[in-house]
Amino acid sequence: MSDITDKEIKAACVFISPLIVLIFLFILVPVLGTLLNSMFQDVAFLDKQFVFLRNFRQLFADSGFRQALKFTLLFVLVSVPIEIVLGMAFAMLMNTHIPLRGLLRACVLIPWAIPAAVSGRIWELIYNYSYGLANFIFTELGITTEPVNWLGTSLGAFIAVVIADVWKTTPFAAIILLAGLQAIPVELLNQARVDRANFLQVFYKVVLPLMKPIIIVALLFRTIDGLRVFDLIYVLSGGGPGGATTSISHYAYKYFLGGDFGYGSAVSVILFMIAFLLSVFYVKAGRFMTGQV
Amino acid sequence: MSENTVRNWLVLAGIVFCLAFCLFPFIYMLVISLSTRADFLSQRASFKFTLDNFNAVLTDGSLHFPDYLRNSFLISLASAFFCVVIASLAAYAITRLQFPGRMSLLFFALAVSMFPQIGLVGYLFKFMTRLGWINTYQALVLPYTAWILPLSLWILVSYFSQIPRELDKAALVDGCTYRQILCKVILPVAAPGVLSVFLLSFIFAFNEFMFALMLTTDYRARTVPVGIALFQGLHGQTPWGNIMAASVVTTLPIVILTLVFQRHIMAGLTRGAVKG
Repeated sequence: MSDITDKEIKAACVFISPLIVLIFLFILVPVLGTLLNSMFQDVAFLDKQFVFLRNFRQLFADSGFRQALKFTLLFVLVSVPIEIVLGMAFAMLMNTHIPLRGLLRACVLIPWAIPAAVSGRIWELIYNYSYGLANFIFTELGITTEPVNWLGTSLGAFIAVVIADVWKTTPFAAIILLAGLQAIPVELLNQARVDRANFLQVFYKVVLPLMKPIIIVALLFRTIDGLRVFDLIYVLSGGGPGGATTSISHYAYKYFLGGDFGYGSAVSVILFMIAFLLSVFYVKAGRFMTGQV
Repeated sequence: MSENTVRNWLVLAGIVFCLAFCLFPFIYMLVISLSTRADFLSQRASFKFTLDNFNAVLTDGSLHFPDYLRNSFLISLASAFFCVVIASLAAYAITRLQFPGRMSLLFFALAVSMFPQIGLVGYLFKFMTRLGWINTYQALVLPYTAWILPLSLWILVSYFSQIPRELDKAALVDGCTYRQILCKVILPVAAPGVLSVFLLSFIFAFNEFMFALMLTTDYRARTVPVGIALFQGLHGQTPWGNIMAASVVTTLPIVILTLVFQRHIMAGLTRGAVKG
């Protein structure tokens, strides 16, 4: 009997080793390297020097970092709830029995499926001050008399990146939530209808409580993803004006680009920690780590 | 009006809004790409149809757009292929072989997928520079594969664990090796799952931006998203017509994939996310 187990363990080692090696070399080593690097002064053309927590002390005094931190948290706080609520509405639409439902689902998927850099470019043109679609619609409909300076003011740029992100990632939330809707037993909804509950009552008393775990999963995924936002904003607003829409990832990237790997690593480590703490919070709130696979 | 009629109208209005919301940027992109000038709306000029923009991005060698397209396709195909192979092997071991630490491996993969990309890219840049791999395909394919593996693993584990054990027990009795069972029994039965993983990995690799931005500097390995993001005009003005034409060419294959394989993509995403 133990012969078989030995053979199994040996086979298992062979089967999982490519995965382990790749994840070790290209994720774990870089992550540990970043952690280590965050405690060094590691600037191109200078000698590497151990400085322990100096980078982090510097961070807290750095107004650029504080601005990036504030923007990123505010961005997540505003865009994620909109995405979940809108995603819920889309999920319910995709769950109704209508002709061409598959086509509707595919159309909703498309904004999620295309590269964020491409959507960033499309939205950059939409927000263009002199000939973009947004200002054309706004002035034609008389919402504003003057064109709006979307990407040239802090508030305008913030609204612009939130709208573009909502457009890009609501489909993801909708797909996750749709899976939750489909898992609700039909008998339960029929029973509610027999009991003459109206639509809102069914939604609040039956659907929402059953959906709680999956809503938390969607929130968790969107929050972590929102915290590390980079490509869409990098392309759409370039982090501007004056750093008003620079995310934490973008801020760290600028240091990496400038050859300051120690400081950039410290910024990334802070991002790790925020993401980690929030995940722990969500997991506790959802208590869905019950160990079933 | 009965409650049902009201409901039907609400659903219809919702669907119209939903479709308009999701699709209008694409329509705008398509219109601009086919127009002689990007500013015809505000100038109250009439729309003039042209294919010049497409002609320029597909044939002008100095823009390197065809190079970016080729790089993107080859890199994404290779990453998706490696993901499927490596994740299948590991998922087979986790669902079928008794070895210590199976569950921890699964949760280890989940934890690893939580790391933000920015925490890897600085170190990867130094690593790839030392190896002299900047501007090579392997500098992107290997990190992409590692980065997409956790999700692939979770999806395949969820598919494999639903296949009845009797199937592979019978094959084992017949004297098949583990590798034969995986290739001849498990993979054919789990084909929809394998297709999901392949499609999702391809899309993720195709859309990836930060690694590609940091680890390439020119057309030899630069991918389409970075190419489009850094698209500059020769004379200072942003060539919106060209950019939108390039965007159309880039999104078209993804849109077709989504329309054809909507079911598989959705299934993969929900398996990966909901089970996690």
